[in-house]
Amino acid sequence: MDGIALMATAMRAAKARLDVSASNLANVSTDGFRGHVARVTLGRLGLVTTSRSDREPGPLRHTGRAFDLAIAGPGAFFVRDRAGRISQSRSGSFERDAFGRLADERGRVLLGSRGALVVGADATIDSRGIVREAGTARANLRLAPGSVVQSGFLEGPNVDAVHEMVDVLEAERAFETAEKTLSAIDEARQKDVNDVARLKS
Amino acid sequence: MYAAASGMAAQQQNLDVVADNLANADVAGFKAAQATFAPIGPNALLGTASIGMRENVAQGKLERSGGAFDVALDGPGFFVVERDGMRGYTRAGSFSRAADGSLRNSQGWQLRGVRIPAKAQTVTVAEDGAVSVDAGMRSQHRAGRIEVAAFNAPESVRPLDATVFAATPASGPARPIALGGDRHTKIAFGMLEKSNVSIVESMMAILAAQRAYEANAKGVQAADEMLRIANNLHRS
Repeated sequence: MDGIALMATAMRAAKARLDVSASNLANVSTDGFRGHVARVTLGRLGLVTTSRSDREPGPLRHTGRAFDLAIAGPGAFFVRDRAGRISQSRSGSFERDAFGRLADERGRVLLGSRGALVVGADATIDSRGIVREAGTARANLRLAPGSVVQSGFLEGPNVDAVHEMVDVLEAERAFETAEKTLSAIDEARQKDVNDVARLKS
Repeated sequence: MYAAASGMAAQQQNLDVVADNLANADVAGFKAAQATFAPIGPNALLGTASIGMRENVAQGKLERSGGAFDVALDGPGFFVVERDGMRGYTRAGSFSRAADGSLRNSQGWQLRGVRIPAKAQTVTVAEDGAVSVDAGMRSQHRAGRIEVAAFNAPESVRPLDATVFAATPASGPARPIALGGDRHTKIAFGMLEKSNVSIVESMMAILAAQRAYEANAKGVQAADEMLRIANNLHRS
């Protein structure tokens, strides 16, 4: 691959790395956010940045609200969005909607073992996902096997701001290095084309 | 660059909300609010955006106030108030008697269901909201009953001013609730509910927001620097 084209892909890859870090940083206050990890690889097309979602769980944060739910360790609970799609989730700040269902900020309702969960205002949810009202068990959360529910906690973003800042600086320097190299190659070619040609004349 | 900028905007909004909470930390019946955010764009690569505010409706501490018409709610629910024909819901129970015998708060919101006769000397409010007045010579009168309402989703109510809220489609309609007894919300007479703002938590939130803002500013700077370098390429 041509040196100048290769350096151009290096600059593009560094820019893409910065974009990943910037979006991670933008979401350091978004509960439940999973950051992305950028990886730069050298292939036939030069340097390419790919990113994948970081599956590490974020730290649990105490909120004290009964319907803030998080999963400690592995596992998940199930939610259904407005379009009827069912998906897994590991943390959500739920509140009772006008029908008594528990809905999160994006309108997804929490599912029990028999469809959408309908609870009273003073319901509590224990670690095994049993919903109690005034001491009597009323329903069960639909859970992935082995899940431990933490009521009163939310999972924070799994983004480490310091780590991301270092990544930002690193991407910036990588961009600069590629640019310097590109300029050096360009200069050398200038010599080739102008000076070498002059010698022969 | 715009992802990092969206992060800066989010932190700014975060700070605004926390500052508003702190400013009202001493206002009786004030409920702390929280801004919530969600990632935007495919793979969240476009940064973050606010998806609205949420009221924290947790009970504040009750404090003896000594006001002649002060009431507080021990348990969920809101006092039903009215102004210019508009309904409002509040947990701030600092009322005083207006010339027409109604009980109003400092913003002019009138407590529904109660009218104090002119000759009343002392007023007492029972746990269940029944208001009785003593007009001297041992004559007791009923002066109405305080109305208290609850919402299915109280966190989605919309603030009208610092302490008065309105119903929204998300909160569901207000429904009157029974008062008194062990199972229900009780009215505490001569008490006020303090705000549920935690000063320590707010200070921590301010520090975190400030640092996050700086980190995002670094992201903007780095993107800017890259563009500058790219623009200078043709001169070399």
